[in-house]
Amino acid sequence: MSGTTRTTGMTGAAGAVDTAGAPLSAVPRRRFALPVGERLRPAGRNVSRVLVALLVLTTLVALLAPVLAPDNPIQPVGDLNLPPLSAHHLLGTDNLGRDLLSRTLIGLRASWFSALAVVAVGLLAGGLLGVVAGAFGGWVDALLMRFTDLFLALPGALVAIAVNAALGPGLLHTLIGVSVVWWPYYARIIRAEVRGLASRPHVEAARLAGAGRLRLIGRHILPGVVPTALVTASLDIGNVVVLLAGLSFLGLGQSAPAPELGADVQNSLYLLLGQWWIPIIPALTVMLLSLIANLGGDALRNLLEGDR
Amino acid sequence: MSAHDLPTPGTARAPGPEPGAASRSGSATAPAAGTAGPVASVRGLSVSLQRQGVRSPVLRGVDLDIAPGEIVGLVGESGSGKSVLAMTMLGLLPRSARPVITGSVHAAGTDMLHGTPAQLRAVRRSRLGVIFQDPMTSLNPTMRIGRQITEVTGDSGEAVTLLGAVRVPEPARRMRAFPHELSGGLRQRVMAAIALTGRPRLIVADEPTTALDVTVQAQLLALLADLRREFGCSVLFITHDLAVAAQITDRIAVLYQGRVAEIGPSAQLLHHPTHPYTAGLLGSRLSLSTPRTGALPTLPADGVPVAERLRGCAYHTRCPLVLDRCASQQPPATPVEGTGVLRACWRDSTAVRDIHRAVVPAEGLAAHAGPLGAVHPSPGGSGKPAADLAVEVRALGCRFHSRSGFEPRHTVDALQGVDLDVRAGEALSIVGESGSGKSTLLRVIAGLTRPTAGTVVLRGTAQMVFQDAGSSLTPWLTVGALLRERLRAAKVPPAEAARRTEEVLAAMGLPASVLKVRPGELSGGQRQRVALARAVVVPPTVLLCDEPTSALDASLAASVLNLIREMRRELAMTVVFVTHDLAVARLMGDRIAVMAQGRLVEQGDAHDIVTAPADPRTRALLDAVPRIDVPAARPATGPADRPEAAR
Repeated sequence: MSGTTRTTGMTGAAGAVDTAGAPLSAVPRRRFALPVGERLRPAGRNVSRVLVALLVLTTLVALLAPVLAPDNPIQPVGDLNLPPLSAHHLLGTDNLGRDLLSRTLIGLRASWFSALAVVAVGLLAGGLLGVVAGAFGGWVDALLMRFTDLFLALPGALVAIAVNAALGPGLLHTLIGVSVVWWPYYARIIRAEVRGLASRPHVEAARLAGAGRLRLIGRHILPGVVPTALVTASLDIGNVVVLLAGLSFLGLGQSAPAPELGADVQNSLYLLLGQWWIPIIPALTVMLLSLIANLGGDALRNLLEGDR
Repeated sequence: MSAHDLPTPGTARAPGPEPGAASRSGSATAPAAGTAGPVASVRGLSVSLQRQGVRSPVLRGVDLDIAPGEIVGLVGESGSGKSVLAMTMLGLLPRSARPVITGSVHAAGTDMLHGTPAQLRAVRRSRLGVIFQDPMTSLNPTMRIGRQITEVTGDSGEAVTLLGAVRVPEPARRMRAFPHELSGGLRQRVMAAIALTGRPRLIVADEPTTALDVTVQAQLLALLADLRREFGCSVLFITHDLAVAAQITDRIAVLYQGRVAEIGPSAQLLHHPTHPYTAGLLGSRLSLSTPRTGALPTLPADGVPVAERLRGCAYHTRCPLVLDRCASQQPPATPVEGTGVLRACWRDSTAVRDIHRAVVPAEGLAAHAGPLGAVHPSPGGSGKPAADLAVEVRALGCRFHSRSGFEPRHTVDALQGVDLDVRAGEALSIVGESGSGKSTLLRVIAGLTRPTAGTVVLRGTAQMVFQDAGSSLTPWLTVGALLRERLRAAKVPPAEAARRTEEVLAAMGLPASVLKVRPGELSGGQRQRVALARAVVVPPTVLLCDEPTSALDASLAASVLNLIREMRRELAMTVVFVTHDLAVARLMGDRIAVMAQGRLVEQGDAHDIVTAPADPRTRALLDAVPRIDVPAARPATGPADRPEAAR
């Protein structure tokens, strides 16, 4: 209600004093009788901060994986099929005697950075296309967006597999395959943002003030797109992690001895009833990464929206 | 479902404060329903609300009675607490603001602070009505209005009757309309119809006319007065404009920082204010009799934080009559002998009368003819060479195509065959209602909108000041960056740029520290000053102003208008000023051009247009300008038969 927000114009002041001149603290407050949802609100920001910090922490773990990994992930280093919490092997060993913690960390590193790369490529390529289409409009917009629609109409996972298969196995080829189908979403979202911002009065005012087209886009429109782009991208990391694990589960992706979460699940799936931890640990890791990315992305959105 | 349970964003749907929320210090007892006591009674009401973790007082000891059949005006600037008072009276304060309430509030015989939610709903349903500022957000956009009214009345026949009662033409046909198919005035009438359901004893109207054109505003005010007569209900009428309150109210309460500065019979209060704030508000009001030459009267702005002012009279930092005790002691409400006025001021009421006489302009227009006393290369004449024209508009047309949803596309002619000359150095005001095409014309001159017919010749450069300064400044850039961008685009060398920045900030009365600040951290008035600074830091030939003060409080508006006038004088600019308010147009323009439905209907010397309008549409605009000097000079369309104040 506009009325109430207007009246809060004077709420910027602390040190409240009531009518008789006595400090407001003399008035009984309802500190302990608040509805649950509202009591959570200030805490909610802290939860959001923790979740975003988790995103950063995951990236750090991925970055430092070679240092953190206790053993060589490819060479057998201990007894076969050691269960988790064994001495010297926190997560146990696999059927070849390789340290599972090391394999998981290195696999996590590959998955996480691959997902970041795909999202970054998508954001750059799609973003560039979206900004050009949104800022120029007219036939440029129509042409670029119909091109984007063409890619959106293709079944994403299938095209990714087809491209990957055509190029041959290998992590780089998988990344190319996924990137090819991933950028159109960003193009659409960013074009819509740019178009919305471009018609705002502050852009018109800047145009009248003499700002050129590049300047308008770079200084008056793009900074407004960044929050949306960041949130969309971080929410997307989880999806890419799952898609990449799926492709590697199907045998695409990195070749055999290198640790990779999807392939490791596939290779040890037959052990599920015996040495269950060998397929379950990489599978849980994929789930965890996806969860962190989604919760972190949501939290990032909450924080950015709260700042506006 | 009552009118107040309609899906209104925000407060209207929020539950009332819990009974336990208010500490029970209020001792007043409820007047028994059905007796001749007041319809609503507020005693010693204090409300503090919390926003972003900071608790601050909004109302600080308010007393108010509304007698049966009485229209009480509640007047104050933004932040004075008038809407919070209304919400508290309706039991609709949002719980998320964590209200702490002391005192007592009774409406239609019900204790609105301690009643159960069911009791509050029942009394809102049957005894109270409410009209909000924006009917578009108060009505459900997905429901036909007939269903929305019938939902409250329970009977479609009665719904048609009510629509008739609020003077909606062809009520039976309008029942099938969706809110977006109605004009703003009609939507507000639909809200009034819903508010009238069940014959309420009190209607709370929170700035019901602020979003409406002046002519529509006049009609709605007349309607409210009629409804009071026909239905015998009381009205609490909230507005920021004393002149609007003057049109229909019996009594007026002036609210300042959560306290009643002064309350009394309207005529008494408007003609003989006894509080310096009321006198200041009256003095800073721009009317058709404000002198055109010299600076416009303003209320001094307040640089002192609210918290430091509240120990004494909150107005003491702006008050021309301040005494030592004003800063430390809260003045009590004391009656003024024989007038029915209650005032909260340490000064004698005669002292206030003297400053009121000094600031309120002499009546009559004749004394203020002639140009604004600004740059005039030569007096106007018909045989002028074209080279003296700053803007030349010829047969201008602008047609918009709208294609919304599944409806067939239709075209709107925002401008049709507009011919307009603006002489170099001249100040021209363009007046019209919303939708008259005045803003489109300005945008076409600025080059922001492409015309579909005709030509515009602009000799020199143009800069524009937008209606909403907040949205016309890029939120993530600092004020310094915005000014630098303008200077850079005009290829001003760095040393010169620094000097000009300094000068323009000084001229605008802004401290140099604003350069490092982003627009979001500035107040509304400061933002409009920054926008103006950017427009004139490199002086343009033509300054285009699109209702730059319509979103500002009256006292702030006058100071921004003064700045525009000063800048024009100093920089010898041509000014084209768009407004919906003829009083402002007269003060800002040597000439006035009147627009209606995309056409220019009349133009001429500002004084002539205001004193002797030739076109009926100009006359309608002029008649609709709210005036303080009522009831004698009240137009025939106004509520003529106002009963005497109820006390």
